[in-house]
Amino acid sequence: MQPLLQIENLHTYFFTSSGLVKAINGIDLSLEAGKTLALVGESGCGKSMTALSLLRLVPSPGRITDGRILLKGQDLLKLPPEEMRRVRGNRISMVFQEPMTSLNPVLRVGEQICEGLFLHQGMDKKQALEEACNLLEQVGIPSPEKRLRDYPHQLSGGMRQRVMIAMALACNPEVLVADEPTTALDVTIQAQIMELLAGLKTKRQMATLLITHDLGIVAGFADEVAVMYAGHIVEKATVSDLFENPEHPYTQGLMNCLPRFGQKGRLQTIEGQVPVGGGSGLQCNYTGRCPESIDRCCEALPPLEEIRPGHWVRCWRRPIT
Amino acid sequence: MTALLQVENLKKSFSIPAGPWQKAQTLQAVRGVSFELQEGETLGIVGESGCGKSTLGKLLLALLEADEGRVLFEGRDLQQMSSRQLRPLRRNLQMVFQDPYSSLNPRMSVGQILSEPFRIHGMKQGKERRKAVEHLMETVGLPVDYIDRYPHEFSGGQRQRIGIARALAVRPRLIVADEPVSALDLSIQAQVINLLQDIQQDYNLTYVVIAHDLAVVEHISDRIAVMYLGKIVESAPASELIRRPKHPYSEALLAAVPTPDPKQQRSAPSLKGEVPSPIHPPSGCPFHPRCSYAQPRCTTEVPQLNPIGSKRSVACHYHDRVGTTGATS
Repeated sequence: MQPLLQIENLHTYFFTSSGLVKAINGIDLSLEAGKTLALVGESGCGKSMTALSLLRLVPSPGRITDGRILLKGQDLLKLPPEEMRRVRGNRISMVFQEPMTSLNPVLRVGEQICEGLFLHQGMDKKQALEEACNLLEQVGIPSPEKRLRDYPHQLSGGMRQRVMIAMALACNPEVLVADEPTTALDVTIQAQIMELLAGLKTKRQMATLLITHDLGIVAGFADEVAVMYAGHIVEKATVSDLFENPEHPYTQGLMNCLPRFGQKGRLQTIEGQVPVGGGSGLQCNYTGRCPESIDRCCEALPPLEEIRPGHWVRCWRRPIT
Repeated sequence: MTALLQVENLKKSFSIPAGPWQKAQTLQAVRGVSFELQEGETLGIVGESGCGKSTLGKLLLALLEADEGRVLFEGRDLQQMSSRQLRPLRRNLQMVFQDPYSSLNPRMSVGQILSEPFRIHGMKQGKERRKAVEHLMETVGLPVDYIDRYPHEFSGGQRQRIGIARALAVRPRLIVADEPVSALDLSIQAQVINLLQDIQQDYNLTYVVIAHDLAVVEHISDRIAVMYLGKIVESAPASELIRRPKHPYSEALLAAVPTPDPKQQRSAPSLKGEVPSPIHPPSGCPFHPRCSYAQPRCTTEVPQLNPIGSKRSVACHYHDRVGTTGATS
């Protein structure tokens, strides 16, 4: 079966004055309806750029230089700008990390939700307001008619994020991209928002791309995980398989350096820093920090290979079993 | 034995001036906090944003003036001292800030940043000072040949190491660390936590660690105090608090932490609603509007922080019910 959304060999480069930065250096991902794929990694690994590339919103001086993004078989990268605009916020929509900076501070919440409904669904004002009210109710905002008339600054962080989700859902998207949707929120509010997203995913059969750095969130809310490092996917598996048998040394390192309840003593660490500017493509990007590094790691970039059914790893030290 | 730090009934409120659409209001950030801290101990303070934990941190170091209450450092009340009297004592009291980007002067090199504390306190001159700075850099794991570099040339984790080195320079006794690792990536976070623990042993430091990440706090603290709307609602040895929380809020907070293990997912219902405004805190127990154990009594009667057993205290009328019928097992 063809997946709903397929990313093939995507490259996004930044042509900065101080040189080329390979933010995304050839990644393949696929999303299925009703499933959540989590993209994890540390800052600068390219996970947010993947989200922006998907919507063709890569900021200058960045550019998608190669690859295909297929939504039900149609290549989004080949669409003319007007047609892409019809996809954005309609068939693919996005929830951003910082709800305060991604809402317009001088427009009422209702107006902002209605915008998409006017644009994509051709509703009139009355219909749109009714639908907006309905959406706010679905995302768990009490007394939605009143809240429609509020400005973003009148809402708490959690409420703003609910409004963002309502906006994203307005046009019944097939794909929802959530970029660190709860990073700015407290844990109790985070739990509420994640439960809301999980419920909506099942109810609406959306494909969700969840971008996060929190392995706890991944364990609780994703079906599949892809671990990114310096512009490459280094490991991809189902959630249970990845947490039970992490294969890539980087994934193993991340799991080990996590403080866990009831465990005292020294934490294990990953030495060194994430390389800046993406990898050269001539060697494994993790080799400088990897405890298992061998000569071969410095000589060529390992391919992403399926070492067991459904479990993909990019490492020379992991033979196919 | 007297405690290194003794805090008694500390209160602080901020006034919000009247604006065109509203009257002047008072925000009660810290509403009566008391605790003791022994030398070499680490106290973790957790709570949601707006609970007053950062304000408390600043009050402990007399960076803010309290409305009421005392902060006794080795028996001397910091809150009663003038800034001149405080100055020699400040050597003992240092702070590590959350954001390693905004807490370092971008126009000073690392060498200058780390020399500042010595200059202010008139310690070590010339070559000796330079040597001390180099030694500090080694201690926190920064390459000494970076001494002339500026903050923007460092990564987040390295900048936090500079912040820690600066706090460490004058050999303090007490360090208040406000969210010391929350801005850092996972792999860097572990390095910084280990560093904090290493220097605690080497320098016999006492820590107050303010953080929202319960796993981090449990890892480095001996004791944890949970704050809600300006009050400590529960205080207990770290491992006991995590294993058997006695306040409904601690229980809910723990249940909300996502576990990094797909097989151990709690099915606990998440806490309803949001933290009420500290401008109008609820009557009675501040947690009652969100509490699943709440009874009529909770809406009127403020529970006091009472000891249960020898090491714990909890501010809840019905703490003996928590955990028995509650959400977590």
